[in-house]
Amino acid sequence: MTADVDVLIIGAGASGAALAWSLAETRMRILCLEQGDWVNPADYPSTRRDWEVRMDREFSPNPNIRRRPEDYPINDDDSPISVVNFNGVGGSTILYAAHFPRPHPSDFRVRSLDGVADDWPIDYATLESYYALNDRQMGVAGLAGDPAYPPHALPLPPVPLGLAGETMARGFNALGWHWWPSDTAIATQDYEGRAACVNLGPCKSGCAQGAKASADITYWPVARRAGVQLRTRCRVREILVDDKDMATGVVYYDEHGVEHVQRAEVVVLACNGVGTPRLLLNSRSARFPNGLANRSGLVGKNLMIHPWGMVRGAFDAPLDSQRGPMSCCILSQQFYETDRSRGFVRGYNMQITRGLGPVATARMGVTRGDIPWGAGHHEAFARRYGRSINIGICCEDLPEECNTVTLDPTLKDSNGIPAPKITYRLSENTERMLRHGLARGTEVMQAAGAWDVYSEGPVRQTGWHLLGTARMGEDPERSVVNGWGRSHDVKNLFIVDGSVFVTSGGVNPTPTIQAIALYVADAMKQRLANLFD
Amino acid sequence: MTNQRIDNAAPGLALTPGQRAILDIVLDMIVPPSADGRMPGAAEVGVPAYLLAEAPDALGVLCGELEALERRSRERFARTFTGLEAHERNSLIEELRAQAPSFMSRLAMEALACYYQHDRVLEGLGQEARAPYPKGYQVVQGDLSLLEPVRVRGKVYRDAP
Repeated sequence: MTADVDVLIIGAGASGAALAWSLAETRMRILCLEQGDWVNPADYPSTRRDWEVRMDREFSPNPNIRRRPEDYPINDDDSPISVVNFNGVGGSTILYAAHFPRPHPSDFRVRSLDGVADDWPIDYATLESYYALNDRQMGVAGLAGDPAYPPHALPLPPVPLGLAGETMARGFNALGWHWWPSDTAIATQDYEGRAACVNLGPCKSGCAQGAKASADITYWPVARRAGVQLRTRCRVREILVDDKDMATGVVYYDEHGVEHVQRAEVVVLACNGVGTPRLLLNSRSARFPNGLANRSGLVGKNLMIHPWGMVRGAFDAPLDSQRGPMSCCILSQQFYETDRSRGFVRGYNMQITRGLGPVATARMGVTRGDIPWGAGHHEAFARRYGRSINIGICCEDLPEECNTVTLDPTLKDSNGIPAPKITYRLSENTERMLRHGLARGTEVMQAAGAWDVYSEGPVRQTGWHLLGTARMGEDPERSVVNGWGRSHDVKNLFIVDGSVFVTSGGVNPTPTIQAIALYVADAMKQRLANLFD
Repeated sequence: MTNQRIDNAAPGLALTPGQRAILDIVLDMIVPPSADGRMPGAAEVGVPAYLLAEAPDALGVLCGELEALERRSRERFARTFTGLEAHERNSLIEELRAQAPSFMSRLAMEALACYYQHDRVLEGLGQEARAPYPKGYQVVQGDLSLLEPVRVRGKVYRDAP
């Protein structure tokens, strides 16, 4: 057994890093166990000529394809959308796009405003200062004044529009629709020791420049200097509890497969919306036969995943669209707020992204039949490469108990720990929203001058946003944690990742996940004397 | 990996000279050389070595399919595949695409990956043949005055109770 600690954090991704950094000032003994390893930026695909192929293999976002030793398999046979993630210090921020929009105030009040799902126990105003703090810690670029949001300033100027962004901006203007340069967690100038972005392109396979704000290069260096211990290649099997329903620590395997027990006064889960319910469900005991902290029966239920649509347009003019931060340019929230005349409630974000590299352009074109074999190949390729723009349609999906993370009866990871199984389907509301988004995306592409437009959705390899599987709320019958992240059932167990979302909003969740982690950390610090009351 | 290594590093690939000749023809049917000579054909960019390095699991099937192509050529036209007219080759390849779609698709995808990473191809596209890092690329900043009508229209979010 290893030395006891005051706070044990499981997972070194976006939320675990933020919480560790915030708690460091307490000078408590804080340890984080991370199943993955540090990633060396020199290994990122953009350092290599074959970067496009490497992106699809050892840096694939799908753990079932990537299959690193630290990855756990995920059964996604019963879902039209695959879960994607990264296991390592920094978690999925290693591979995320760094598209960093906040939700709207209305996202926290969907029951009150739209009569669906539930309101959150906290609101935008509660988190506002934590969004701002997180923007500073991560180094977020953007342009103040977006009329889609309450006023907020960003520490860095926005990423370049490029010719692609300008082209789409003109399309949105022609239709009278909202657009704005995206808030982006990319250092557009030298910032806090990080070098400015040089437009490498493939942000979604790691940033060799260090301009993209992944948690391994933002929060973790500061937290470790402040005394937080981070132990990598340590995979937690289960959380231990005593007969008073208090967590006492965890059992984990080190990189050699040796089993250890780590005792702790407080345990914090930061494993994402799939990893956290998996660990809770794997922590069954006589007192918690249905999984730890699961007396509500809601652990693993209400999975929200943001069904994603893709609209791709090809233009006559050369746009150099394969250059620049791959998935960050401009966004539109014209269809974000509820308008029942559209045939659905809630809404979606339109994320305008750039073009593809040459390999992906050719492969997609040939697969779809846009680029032929043989005669005409070069001409068809030239009409698309550097002249294509994409729009991602990020749909808010509402919580439904039929969408779940459970334990697969047979699939296990390399330590023999039962793996998660995803069961997910799109609701009729989401289907309508997705169709609307694809149609509006097509419309704006045409308004921008595209000569060819293609759309599809839901896109399979897009399950980045893993939300809702250990929701927060004040009612222990209807939620897993309270309004400041503490388990209703186990009073020294906290959850700070996307599991606690009550509803999903329609935007990339990392800013909110990290704001919640900082908010929970503050709540813990304010209650240190009576944290378990 | 440099292109020099890609082109010359295929000692373990057990293709016979006949199979290699057939493969080269098939590769050029996927991506032929451009008429102006600016772009090479896919047979010129070291696909066999690329397959050995990146798709070794496909090599056994590849050898088998190339043999089958040769057999069909002899059965149908009484000539070796390399001696066929273009339209005759096309008919056999279209048959193969219909009968073994996953294999032919895999071959095409791997060939395209190899092709569009090759120095000659990138230079033919007018690009520098290099990794993105460390030099990066220039992107025009863009005209933010385009936001004026968005500002004028004003607030598009709801207040919450």
